Amino acid sequence: MKRTPYMKHLGLAAVVLAAVMAACSGDDEDPPGANVPDAGDAATDAGPDAGRPDGGDAGDAGDAGDAGDAGDAGDGGPQVPDGGESTGPDSGTPDASTALPNKLSDLKLFTGSPAEGNFQPVEGNLPYELTTPLFSDYALKSRTLAIPAGKTAAYAETDVLDLPVGTYITKTFSFPPDLREPDKDVRPIETRVLLRREEGWEAVSYLWNESLTDADKVAGGKVFKNYQVINAQGETETFDYLVPSRNQCQKCHHVVDANENQHLLPIGVKARYLNREHAYGGQAKNQLQHLADLGKLTGLPAADLIPHAPNAFDSSAASLDQRARTYLDINCAHCHNPKAQPGITSRLFLDIKTTDEFSNGVCKRPGSAGSGVGGEFDIVPGDHATSILWYRLNTEESGKMMPEIGRALRHDEGSQLISDWIDAMPPRACK
Amino acid sequence: MNRLPLSRMSRAMLITLVGLLALPACSDDDEETPNIPDAGPRPDAGTDGGSDAGPDGGEPEPDGGSDAGTWVTEFSCEGKPQATLTFSPGQEQDLQNAVNDLAPCTSIKLGAGTFHFDNAVTIRQDGITISGAGRGAQGEATGGSASTVLDFSNATANTNGLDVVGKLFTVRDVALWNAQKDALRVENSANVYIQRIRTEWALENTESNGKYGIYPVKSRYVVIEDSEAYNAADAGIYVGQTRYAIVRRNIAKKNVAGIEIENTKYAYVEGNTATDNTTGLVVFDLPGNPIKGTDILIVDNIITGNNRPNFASVTASSSTVSQVPAGTGTFILASRRVEFTGNTWGKNNTVDIAVLSGLAIEDDVALWSAGFFNFASADVYIHGNTFQGESGIAVDNGNTDPQRRPLGALVGGVYQYARVAAEIEHVEHVLWDGMDPLPPAAAETTSHNKLNLCFTGNTLPEPNVAAVVDFDLANVATHLQAGPQNVAAAFGETRRFKQGEAPFNCAGFTPALSLPQP
Repeated sequence: MKRTPYMKHLGLAAVVLAAVMAACSGDDEDPPGANVPDAGDAATDAGPDAGRPDGGDAGDAGDAGDAGDAGDAGDGGPQVPDGGESTGPDSGTPDASTALPNKLSDLKLFTGSPAEGNFQPVEGNLPYELTTPLFSDYALKSRTLAIPAGKTAAYAETDVLDLPVGTYITKTFSFPPDLREPDKDVRPIETRVLLRREEGWEAVSYLWNESLTDADKVAGGKVFKNYQVINAQGETETFDYLVPSRNQCQKCHHVVDANENQHLLPIGVKARYLNREHAYGGQAKNQLQHLADLGKLTGLPAADLIPHAPNAFDSSAASLDQRARTYLDINCAHCHNPKAQPGITSRLFLDIKTTDEFSNGVCKRPGSAGSGVGGEFDIVPGDHATSILWYRLNTEESGKMMPEIGRALRHDEGSQLISDWIDAMPPRACK
Repeated sequence: MNRLPLSRMSRAMLITLVGLLALPACSDDDEETPNIPDAGPRPDAGTDGGSDAGPDGGEPEPDGGSDAGTWVTEFSCEGKPQATLTFSPGQEQDLQNAVNDLAPCTSIKLGAGTFHFDNAVTIRQDGITISGAGRGAQGEATGGSASTVLDFSNATANTNGLDVVGKLFTVRDVALWNAQKDALRVENSANVYIQRIRTEWALENTESNGKYGIYPVKSRYVVIEDSEAYNAADAGIYVGQTRYAIVRRNIAKKNVAGIEIENTKYAYVEGNTATDNTTGLVVFDLPGNPIKGTDILIVDNIITGNNRPNFASVTASSSTVSQVPAGTGTFILASRRVEFTGNTWGKNNTVDIAVLSGLAIEDDVALWSAGFFNFASADVYIHGNTFQGESGIAVDNGNTDPQRRPLGALVGGVYQYARVAAEIEHVEHVLWDGMDPLPPAAAETTSHNKLNLCFTGNTLPEPNVAAVVDFDLANVATHLQAGPQNVAAAFGETRRFKQGEAPFNCAGFTPALSLPQP
């Protein structure tokens, strides 16, 4: 087993911190400082793995975050749990009656800190990536999954994996100062934690302190007013970055049961998005297979039977239609599905399973979409400019943009993808 | 609301509808499965909780809701640990942290003054009460010694003010100011008490204001009382897709719609004032929604002077109210078992009451399948009200727009002609679109009333002048929109009735409304 850094540029932490503090010191009263988790899936990540409609990718070498992993053994940080051990995190398995701790470090899911340049998941807390991620204002995301020792997840073909009680999912959100250099001077802002308890999932975010020595639980969330990054065009983007409150987590992470009660649910931990390779100790391996080999996943079928979501931004990966539907599925379908409140209310279903075009929005009038949203129908085939669906994911106007939460900036690549998809539909007048 | 597709309404379609309409009447037969292509879910399938004592049971629901059941308490704090948390202005982050870590049955007391939020206050817990020192007065952006204002002016984009999911939720004595989206949104909740609050945006007539002031949606057992709603870009008070609602003694002004009751069953709307909105008090079902609205009792409300230009009516609008002409006192669409008594209308420039079929906004019958083809308005009983007059004198304030507000353009066109040709000075108090799906003769010369619109015993400013117009919207549209305009022919598609004249002199519907209360 080789050592693999979880976050990059650790040796530069102090320098980077100073630099970014200076860069952020304008009128921002709460400048997130500087430094870096692994830039797993910036939208710019178009690693070659994405091209395969099936699970048998080889050579996932293009991933921005992990490309440098192989053989990088010199940082002295704790080892990443990539090996064959099937043990879970040595501690942190929650007692259902205890609250999540106030400090991220007390979860014992990571060791070190970004400040010291040695922030690492503990053994059994496995980094993973998605083939196409949910867009969150161009934030870089580093994900880990920790299934407790002695327990296993059950494979599910279309739904979220059935994860056992005690499972933690973490996602660290970070920004580089300049999106054109997504590996440089990356600073973590928050680490969101999902915990599977006996009675269901619990979610909360931990906000990294200014010195990046630890992250503090912020049940009430936090807004970074006038946060600034330099975008792909070299322009400064100014926006409010929202660390969601605990209850806001439910706006995206929820499902409505038969008794109309809402329950929290993870989004991305589905076979179709996990079905890609990740470099474990320099060795590229399919993530699902890796889980199964560790004894953490039961019921995994043969590789060619596992669904695979393509990288939505790799035009060689799949058809335009498949890529657009994948993008809508991961970005919209946590709400727009038949079992989530906004889907139930709007009857607009963008999940990959719903295939009838009307429910997908084609020539569908919204029940109540408000004023000035680009048109009268969710999708007008052949004409993105009069399609509400495109309008709402393209606009940055409050009250009109979608998703409802988690986006303040336009996702230029996503907007273009959906625009292309609608325009490629045979033109047709809606009535 | 969608564009009026009236010119496409064909007789063939009406004939089709005949078949559909006959179905509920057949529901006593053994054959329960309606022979409709793609009938979709039955009414309320999948949306009714076990607590709904309404006539469900999976059968197609009869229009007559004789048994509305009882007012159910789904959650109670009695006998449970209860806590009180107190916050003052300046403690917003503490409040946010606490709100996201609440035990059930917690009361949150907010001190007098102004709280400034940069994010929504989001509640996902049962038994929560939020109370302040008072809602203050219209226009007050800051709290005083006896008022509490929650100011969302600087909140991050796309967030509501108070955003709630929970059972037994109470909010009282606060103002919600300048929310980015809805001021108070309560979704999928039960036993909701909204008391003495104020929702307001600073600027009048501003399309980018939040859409809804007080907005319970998909909820059960909701009371909204003694509250005020101003300057919402859609509706001040909007009860959506809800079962069992009481809306009383509220004031709604300067909104596009003052009070809306949408896809809602069992609503009691009493003693409210809806003035100076584009449209005052509206009741409708929207297509594609599984809750079929019914049993709405509207008593002792004041619905006057709703002539505010429709500031939601902008390019590429698709919302329902953005297409309502200014000056519409009350708007009933795709609704049934609606009773009005003791109310006052007057000085509404377009019309006091319009009763429309849902087909006026969506003529694709299939799209109404989710609510079991709930497009027809039927069993509307208007009795014992006061009509003060000075209404119907300037349709859409004289600024009709066929593209954005087609209904106003059609009505305005006809009455412009009527004034000259027939000395009819104003639109009658009740305009019925005549889109009765039962078969009219090819050239309809008499009105029937199979859908049971009843207008009796009202106090009228001119008792000897027609009070109800049967306005054949589809044919008017054909004459005004298709081919060479023929205004005279369009006028010929309208028929007028004095109060007491057949066929609208009927006496309501049976069984009479009987709405449960807490």
